[in-house]
Amino acid sequence: MKTHDTRSQSSQSSQSGQSGQASQMSQQGDAERIGGVEVERLPRDPRTGQALAPRMQPGYYPGFSTLSQQSFWDEATRAVVLKRVNQPPPITFFDADEARVMQTVCDRVLPQDDRAPDRRIPILNTIDERLASGRINGYRYADMPPDPQAYRLAIKGIEAIAQSMGATTFTELNLRQQDLTLKSLHDGHPIAGDEYWRQMNARRFWLMLVSDCAGAYYAHPWAWDEIGFGGPAYPRGYMRLRDGQPEPWEKVEHRYEWEAPPESLSDTMESLSDTPEASSFTPGTH
Amino acid sequence: MKEPLFGAFDGAKPDEHYVGPIQRIDAPMRHYPRGEAVDFVVVGVGSAGGVLIQRLAKAGFSVVGLEAGPFWDTERDWVSDEAGSHGLYWNDLRIIGGSDPLALGANNSGKGVGGGSVHWAGFTPRLHPSDFRVRSDDGVAVDWPISYDDLKPYYELMEREIPVAGPTYYPWGDPHGYSYAPHPLGGVSQTLVRGCTRLGIPVVAGGPVAINSGSHGSRPHCIYRGFCIQGCKVGAKQSTLVSHVPDAIRHGAELRDKCMVARINLGKDGRVTGVTYYDEHGQEQEQRASVVIVSGYAIETPRLLLNSACPGFEQGLANSSGTLGKYLMAQIGNVVFGRFDDLVRMYKAPPANALTEEFYETDPRNDFVRGYAIQTVGPLPISFAQHMMVAQGAWGWGLRRTMMDYNHWSALGVLGEILPWEDNTVTLADVRDGFGLPVARVTFNLHENDHKIAQAGVQKTEEIMRAAGATEVTQEPRYAHLVGGARMGADASDSVVNSFGRTWDIPNLYVCDGSILPTQGSANPGLTIQALAARTADYLISERENAAAPTAATRIPVRYSLSPSEVAGRGMPRLKSRRPTTFGAGALGPGSRG
Ligand SMILES: Cc1cc2nc3c(=O)[nH]c(=O)nc-3n(C[C@H](O)[C@H](O)[C@H](O)COP(=O)(O)OP(=O)(O)OC[C@H]3O[C@@H](n4cnc5c(N)ncnc54)[C@H](O)[C@@H]3O)c2cc1C
Ligand code: SF4
Repeated sequence: MKTHDTRSQSSQSSQSGQSGQASQMSQQGDAERIGGVEVERLPRDPRTGQALAPRMQPGYYPGFSTLSQQSFWDEATRAVVLKRVNQPPPITFFDADEARVMQTVCDRVLPQDDRAPDRRIPILNTIDERLASGRINGYRYADMPPDPQAYRLAIKGIEAIAQSMGATTFTELNLRQQDLTLKSLHDGHPIAGDEYWRQMNARRFWLMLVSDCAGAYYAHPWAWDEIGFGGPAYPRGYMRLRDGQPEPWEKVEHRYEWEAPPESLSDTMESLSDTPEASSFTPGTH
Repeated sequence: MKEPLFGAFDGAKPDEHYVGPIQRIDAPMRHYPRGEAVDFVVVGVGSAGGVLIQRLAKAGFSVVGLEAGPFWDTERDWVSDEAGSHGLYWNDLRIIGGSDPLALGANNSGKGVGGGSVHWAGFTPRLHPSDFRVRSDDGVAVDWPISYDDLKPYYELMEREIPVAGPTYYPWGDPHGYSYAPHPLGGVSQTLVRGCTRLGIPVVAGGPVAINSGSHGSRPHCIYRGFCIQGCKVGAKQSTLVSHVPDAIRHGAELRDKCMVARINLGKDGRVTGVTYYDEHGQEQEQRASVVIVSGYAIETPRLLLNSACPGFEQGLANSSGTLGKYLMAQIGNVVFGRFDDLVRMYKAPPANALTEEFYETDPRNDFVRGYAIQTVGPLPISFAQHMMVAQGAWGWGLRRTMMDYNHWSALGVLGEILPWEDNTVTLADVRDGFGLPVARVTFNLHENDHKIAQAGVQKTEEIMRAAGATEVTQEPRYAHLVGGARMGADASDSVVNSFGRTWDIPNLYVCDGSILPTQGSANPGLTIQALAARTADYLISERENAAAPTAATRIPVRYSLSPSEVAGRGMPRLKSRRPTTFGAGALGPGSRG
């Protein structure tokens, strides 16, 4: 496994949430910004078309904080969750170029531009740590290489697509082109880079990528606050089970309208349930 | 910050082994001298293995359980956190293929004492009487070599030992009731009950589930935190780790964790002599035993028997029939999601709570045989996001948007019967694990009847979701619950074991777990697996006591006295059954009069 010096990179990410870093670096400094984020990246108010300023806590549960409840959690859970918040793992699997591309990929697969730059959730670090430690989900498709290899192949495939669009690398593409690239994986028909995508099922890779990104983001207490999930609940438990009622320490919902940034393609959803890869990364239920 | 009501929670304690916040492993574990043969060695201490070692130990035999995963201390090792529970599953590599490959890992099997019962949702319906004769009634698959009535006393026994909470009157299959009260409804159960009621579909709520609605022994009742499939730290949901393993240890069973069995050894006399395994330091060890019982799950059991191929059994141990690794089954497990204008908050209450089996049986109006059940599920945020990445194709801003509405969604699971097909298999892949053992390759293909059940089940569930008031409905195809692969039968030529789990080929080699199921119905398999394990234990004990005529026994007494002590006096409501039972004595065990 490659080991290179990424300390500066990873400490950046742990301080400020690395998502904003790569996004900002990929653009020139003269773009208009609100709250430190370029306007073209921000969600809009559908009534006015105005960009919405980044929030400390997006979502419909203002003031809800799962971390504020940590003294009610058991010791083992508290340790695991606090470590996740305070010590994102360093990047050791991806080399610097791969990490730069993957960072931008993560920023599109799970955009966080509506979050204040210092309230972003590290995603790439979590994926990197999984690949570095060789942790898998217990299976591999006969038409897929091992996960670490799949990620490396996909980076090459994504770079090939970027080059077919006239850029030297994915991070140089504009937002629309980046989304087009990723959407082509979602659709199972990568725009270019056949020599790489021939070696694995592109949509299965896509599902693994989205699973990994979602697995990192929605494991974080800030994401729980955003969606109004109560978080760890042992030994206290829940008492108000019916009718979506909040516990005394949970919050009621206050909705606001928002639209995805106009350049983005990811807010139009097309179900994958009828595709052959549909049940590829499904979690357990019953 | 507010102080918790009872002060800061203690957590794990040094030198003490807790399974649940109150229950301690209270007896020192017995250690059999290495090199000494024992009566029984059990490979895998999961759903079946846990019940088995408890009974064999309590009956006075020397038993060693070898478990590949850890012996959990639940206060130390388990967390109330989705991502932090990854280690509960069998995450070692398996290769999957076929036209409909089965996602494994978190979707399938456990690793560690308790096995899959650690992370099951805890639905515990019985099979229906019709499930035991699908060849006779429907002309498909095979009949079981036993009938429902042979298993009924063991269902009742396990429902008390687990114990199962549920309604006093359960209307489907062989109607019966439960001794522990049903659980309150959560948001998802409200959806199912409301939708079914509006459509006139019978539905039950609050069980049957393997979740305490009152305290049981040193296990507390449910606190409705909804983390069941992350392992119940509360000890309210049953796993054999909390229900049977403590009693097994009390009665002298030795449990060796982090021990991976590599092969079963065959002696010159055609009997097995014991097993070879890698201990927690990776050292190769041998454990000799008079009887070897494999309880490793529907994938690892065939894998181990295939990896134990030897002269005389070139195609796998106990595989003279050629059926080992074949007729593997999963259940259709599509999940239907509905978005409601009102809040649901599906993370509260056990995901396993309400169900309907109204569409379980063959209905001549359908163009398929057999059927499906519909059950509540309650995915936590990460799982929900992963479901929605398929069901809605959500990613990017769309995924963020859907997830901000997490509390508006409800989820219902279809549980449909897939028939056993010869081309659904566990074989050996050309990839090896860390011990150098070939890993399993799992091949799965849906057939026409299976497709039709999935379609009908999804359609009906979507109808219920809409009737409940959902304004947006979507679904994801998936599968659940692997069983089969070493099926039982009446004939040595087309099955691996008889109804007691004894391999046809080798008199002292048994299989006892989900892999022996010849068909599966639309009931979650866990209760049936544990009931079969108790029955195999009774057989093994009778056989030992009756060494003169070991194979003659077909009817063996039900040993009610082997239940863990906290079960004594717990009752079972006796309903007048629509069907006469041929096993009258079974109904009157000492525990059943409560
Ligand atoms: C998310 C989820 C939810 C579920 N919900 C339900 C439900 O609601 N109701 C229900 O009835 N079922 C449910 N199930 C299914 C249920 O968990 C399994 O059917 C059941 O646990 C299988 O029991 P078993 O005894 O066959 O195997 P397991 O319980 O898996 O036990 C096998 C054990 O053997 C060990 N082992 C395997 N090979 C070796 C070896 N070579 N050496 C040593 N040890 C070995 C394993 O580590 C494991 O601990 C669910 C499953 C999942 C994944
Ligand atoms: S909901 Fe009940 S059974 Fe499930 S994990 Fe919580 S306490 Fe345990």
